[in-house]
Amino acid sequence: MIGVLLLTLRELLARKVVLGLFLVATLVWGMLALALQLDVVEGTLQGIRLFGQAPEIRTEHGEGIEGLGDDPLRMIVVTAQAFVAVAAYWVGILLALFATGGLVASLMERGRADLLLSKPLGRARILGGRLLGVGVVTALLSVYLLGMVWLVMSLKSGVWNPGFLLGIGVVFAMFAVVYAIVALVSVWTESSALALVVTLGVLFATIVLAIPGLADRVGAPWDGVVETLHVVLPRFPEVGAYTLPDLARGKSVDDWVPLASSLAFGAVAYAATFWLFRRKDF
Amino acid sequence: MTPDEIAVSTEGLAKTYTGAFGRDPVHALRPLDLEVGRGEIFGLLGPNGAGKTTLVKLLLGLVHPTEGDAAIFGRPIHDPEARRPVGYLPEEHRFPRFLTARHALRLYARMAGVPASEREERADALLATVRLEGAADRKIREFSKGMSERLGIAQALLSRPRLLVLDEPADGVDPVGRREIRDLLLELRQGGATLFVNSHLLSEIERVCTRVAILKEGRLVRQGTVEELTTERRVWRLRCTPVPEPVARALGPSLRSEDDDAGLSAYRLRAADRAELNARLDRLREAGVEIEAVEPLRQSLEDFFVEIVST
Repeated sequence: MIGVLLLTLRELLARKVVLGLFLVATLVWGMLALALQLDVVEGTLQGIRLFGQAPEIRTEHGEGIEGLGDDPLRMIVVTAQAFVAVAAYWVGILLALFATGGLVASLMERGRADLLLSKPLGRARILGGRLLGVGVVTALLSVYLLGMVWLVMSLKSGVWNPGFLLGIGVVFAMFAVVYAIVALVSVWTESSALALVVTLGVLFATIVLAIPGLADRVGAPWDGVVETLHVVLPRFPEVGAYTLPDLARGKSVDDWVPLASSLAFGAVAYAATFWLFRRKDF
Repeated sequence: MTPDEIAVSTEGLAKTYTGAFGRDPVHALRPLDLEVGRGEIFGLLGPNGAGKTTLVKLLLGLVHPTEGDAAIFGRPIHDPEARRPVGYLPEEHRFPRFLTARHALRLYARMAGVPASEREERADALLATVRLEGAADRKIREFSKGMSERLGIAQALLSRPRLLVLDEPADGVDPVGRREIRDLLLELRQGGATLFVNSHLLSEIERVCTRVAILKEGRLVRQGTVEELTTERRVWRLRCTPVPEPVARALGPSLRSEDDDAGLSAYRLRAADRAELNARLDRLREAGVEIEAVEPLRQSLEDFFVEIVST
């Protein structure tokens, strides 16, 4: 398994797009660090520290928002961090999909599969090594981007928001869920292009399914189909719109169901992928 | 053969690809019983679509059997450990093009279960064996077909295999490279390895293989030693002084002139059995024919192969 893992890591390194993603991540936190050094930002931060001049964000009952407290600087910092987390969630996951989407199908190319599968390795270990390699790189990318953003903002503002770090886990977990679709379609069809198209199609479907009251609007008999698909498919938009920002702001999450049902979908999809891979003829 | 003498055995091993969308199923390999002894160089022959590659892939776990079973050194093929003593050179092998030859061999050595302490040394030694030491640090994407083929052979030898399975090993290799591969196979056999060679280069098979099996339309149609298969039954090659015309006429179609050389003539003499052969030889002697040599006629493996697959 380690051999396949190392092979996958080398392959990802050889793909310039992964290095490009690390470069983009560096640019993001680098630009953020530079921006925080600008006089206007510096001055604003100092002003907020000294006089609390930030616009107050309060609920209709006059209370501070949960998790943010009454500290306006903290409010600004954690809101900015939540914005970065959500941007990384949508944009980062899509970019990571494009960077790594072809890896499972390439494992099964004629000539490459023969060399790997003829070794004394179980098929589950071969596919597992491949997926682990993808997971290691995307986890490193998430930790690098979001970890550096958190560090830069925390050092500059003095506001330490550990909740933001939980967001890294959610971004990575949802990438893994979406990648399960890539893996399943790749093993089934051996086509990386089709795997990406289907995955993007499913993501688009989840966005449509997340429209409030959609089932009522489509009416019978399609309302049942809409509700079933909404339950079965990953709830990518809800996790990005509610679960992740709440976690990133250090707020308690009201509803874990979108994340839990997405993880369940991922688990089932991976189980099906391994089952198909074990039965496949090459 | 006793179980200890068997390297590869199959029992009713078969593969059928079910047809999708109402198409007929394809019987790639009909139930096959086969035994390959340890230390043999076993050649697998057959026209395209005969089931040769399917058999190789079944043995290596790349394809799942529809029925039957097989074992490598007594271990069932569905167990990945059965492949530990096996080296395999696929017909079409594609190494990761971004790796250097040295890195590729080290990675595949790890996957083949070569101990960490031996990987570097083993990879370097094999690069030298296949004459790629000068290209060890070049990216595989820069390799020619011949170099890639040699790297494939090095890869197959990484784990010091007791069974080496070669699928079209000399395909696309120039005559010099082909000779090197042949010498390597013979060297490996001398070292006690069993070789299972799938090739359509019949002259190569004839030169190196101790036993041959011929598949046709997924069925085993013949197997035996090269000598058994190529010795034409009941026909002898005769070198002698010219046979007088009346005697030749009397022997009819059983005697056929081939060529003349240095006062001697060559004939093909057909006889139902040894007694009839001797009777005919006696008759020639009585006619004053002096016999230089009588030997069973052998046809080339290629002739035999063409005869078998075209019937």
